[in-house]
Amino acid sequence: MNALAAQALISARRALHQRGELAVRVAFYAIILVIFSALWSAAAGANGGSISGYDAHSLLWYVAAAEGSVIATKPRMIESIGWDISSGAIVTEMLRPASVVGLRLAAELGEALVRLVCSLAVGGVIVWLYVGQPPSAAGIALFVPASFLAVGCNLAAQHAFAGAAFWLRDARSTWFLYQKLVFLLGGMLLPLEFLPTALADVARALPFASMAYVPARLASGHVEPWLLLVQAAWLAGLLACAGGVFWAGERRLEVVGG
Amino acid sequence: MLAISTHELSKDFSAGRGRDRRRLRAVHDITFEVERGERLAYIGPNGAGKSTSIKMLTGILHPTSGEATVLGLVPWTQRRELARRIGTLFGQRSQLWFELTTRQTLHLLSRIYRLDGDDARRRADELAELLDATDLIDQPVRSLSLGQRMRCELAATVLHGPEVLFLDEPTIGLDLIAKQRFREMVVRLNEELGTTVFLTSHDVADIEHVADRVVVINHGTIIYDDQVARMRRSLLQTKLLEVRFEEAPGALAIDGVQVTPESDTVYGLVVDTRRLSVREVLDELLDAYAIADISVVDPPLEQVIAEIYGGRT
Amino acid sequence: MTVALATLRTAFLEAWSNRRGFWFQVGIMAANDVAWVIFWVLFFRKVGNLRGWDTHKVLLLFAILTTVSGTGLGLLSNSRRLGELIAGGQLDAALALPTNPLTYLLTRRVDTALLGDLAFGPVLFVVAGDPTPERAVVFVFGALCGTVVLVGFLVALGSVTLFAGGRGEQADLGFQAILIFASYPIDVFGGLTKLFLFTAVPAAFVTGLPTSLVSSFRWPVALGALGAAAFFALAAATTFRIGLRRYSSGALWTRV
Repeated sequence: MNALAAQALISARRALHQRGELAVRVAFYAIILVIFSALWSAAAGANGGSISGYDAHSLLWYVAAAEGSVIATKPRMIESIGWDISSGAIVTEMLRPASVVGLRLAAELGEALVRLVCSLAVGGVIVWLYVGQPPSAAGIALFVPASFLAVGCNLAAQHAFAGAAFWLRDARSTWFLYQKLVFLLGGMLLPLEFLPTALADVARALPFASMAYVPARLASGHVEPWLLLVQAAWLAGLLACAGGVFWAGERRLEVVGG
Repeated sequence: MLAISTHELSKDFSAGRGRDRRRLRAVHDITFEVERGERLAYIGPNGAGKSTSIKMLTGILHPTSGEATVLGLVPWTQRRELARRIGTLFGQRSQLWFELTTRQTLHLLSRIYRLDGDDARRRADELAELLDATDLIDQPVRSLSLGQRMRCELAATVLHGPEVLFLDEPTIGLDLIAKQRFREMVVRLNEELGTTVFLTSHDVADIEHVADRVVVINHGTIIYDDQVARMRRSLLQTKLLEVRFEEAPGALAIDGVQVTPESDTVYGLVVDTRRLSVREVLDELLDAYAIADISVVDPPLEQVIAEIYGGRT
Repeated sequence: MTVALATLRTAFLEAWSNRRGFWFQVGIMAANDVAWVIFWVLFFRKVGNLRGWDTHKVLLLFAILTTVSGTGLGLLSNSRRLGELIAGGQLDAALALPTNPLTYLLTRRVDTALLGDLAFGPVLFVVAGDPTPERAVVFVFGALCGTVVLVGFLVALGSVTLFAGGRGEQADLGFQAILIFASYPIDVFGGLTKLFLFTAVPAAFVTGLPTSLVSSFRWPVALGALGAAAFFALAAATTFRIGLRRYSSGALWTRV
């Protein structure tokens, strides 16, 4: 556990030091936020101020929270993990006396949390200036742990997904599809309440909702603390999944040879 | 007739950003001329300004000051016209398309140089034969070894029949045999087609095996310019031997050879070739001792340059 | 022109040499595009009409966007990498050839995945864009103008590396920004942002103007689109040509 914490800390420091990269990422997030603010306030305005139970005010807080939670993880991460696996680079990591996937997750978590905090700080200011304070203080209090859990779920799922590269050669480009699942079924682009009822029910039952919808739902003023339990359950499940995939994959590498 | 002529050619680069930005002089007032049909080695250590010079002569870089003409053209203002008449090969950059075969690249080049289709095909086959690459040009470039690839690169460089050939560190990274083969090809192109060769290198062997004249550049300035034959008489007079004995040889003394023990059984020998040949030293060693391994190398360029400076003062 | 076509053909051959990967990437990108179509359908199902935009018009915009990106970033994939190529000294190979270096570089590499966009855009137009011969002509015209603006903007931005140094980060940010802004209906933005989209980040010319042209053709708008294309093409060519004098070929010297 100590090794993992140390790894997370080192990565967090590194993320803080690469200021240029961090700035570009946050700027990118800010641009998206400006666009979505325009889009959703226009959409709410065109519908008498409220759509599916969200008004412009809560919609913007929703979007800031959803985008912020997702954008904290690296883009194309599935591709780069897949590359490390299929090129055999991962073999050197297998020599260390610690879990490969554990160390990788810790490293990504350290970086992602730095980006999460920076993005949300900037996003919070933008949305606050645009539509005023968050709809509910309790919601924001719940959002803080929820955003951390969301990042954890996302990272664990991406590692589990990318682990397919142990078996498949072309698994790398699948990050595109994964990303779209988070966008649509995870509620990043639009609240799940916007989906047709049946699809929304399916989406709620999938892990992607824990990565964007849950923190955004809370930040948009819906005080629904049980959502944190759903997230925690998914986090445990996804971590087990990632661990299992890597465990089996590493056994396979040892047998077949790098 | 002149192939290349430069007069006080200089190039500055600006380095760093913001407040740290400063100007660095990469090439300083170089002046020289190259006759048609000459084979010139333009040598110097890494960062001496070799590549910068070659890139100005091919029109890739604009000089900060000074003049130059290649085949009577000013490279940086008449780049396209010049490009049709010269060939340029960069050892560290490939002009071949990695996933395709050399023949496919040659086909594209024939379109770019506006060669007649049939002529170009015939020429590609001739070149492949000349460069021992007949089996290679129909293989994807990614499957070639570096030495094989360089021969294909050379074919791509000379497809349009250039009058001057600029080679920038073409032998870098090649193994000894591949280097030697590549050098032979360059000499053959020069002798059979009369192509002028301008070759940069930091490998002393490239001078001896390719060039008939050598220009040495260091810190952006030309410090030596002479025929290779004459340079050999005055400068390249030492060979280095590294000898590993089966057992410690005890006291080792040969006339005209400077001996430096590196361990009990490994010795470095510097042979003064004015006094005796490498062969004589080898004979003497093999007769007297049980030898595990011997390698013969040229003195490094740094030593040659030190000798040039030494000779001047 | 023949040289450009020959280069593009060779770039195609190179992308095609890994056939399985080719179809896989094209397929993934098409699936990605379908996801966006789903997003817009869901969005407008709830929102209804938004300042003159509905599902119909937004799918038209998306058809233009994917066609433009397929052409400008798929066929001419180096357009967005120019700054990086300059910084890495990769113009050398182009400058050693007796041809226009910019044309050569732009046609030198095809991005397989984005060819999926190029396949998707026209299909979406045919399925959802009420194609008539006239509309199809305007669609092609609009997409071409949009492509020229996009490529011109990216080339000009990448050429800044010739003057200012760096590794082409500004071009990357510009690329991200113009593509995101071009993905959304221009009318949702307020006056100041709109002005910005007609000038600094000309996303309006990439998709907004062409979309409104296909919806209802007006000559002044068509001339505007054409004028913007001419302007950005000229800006790109000029910046690049003047900047070449300062090209440093990624020399070690400049990294000291």
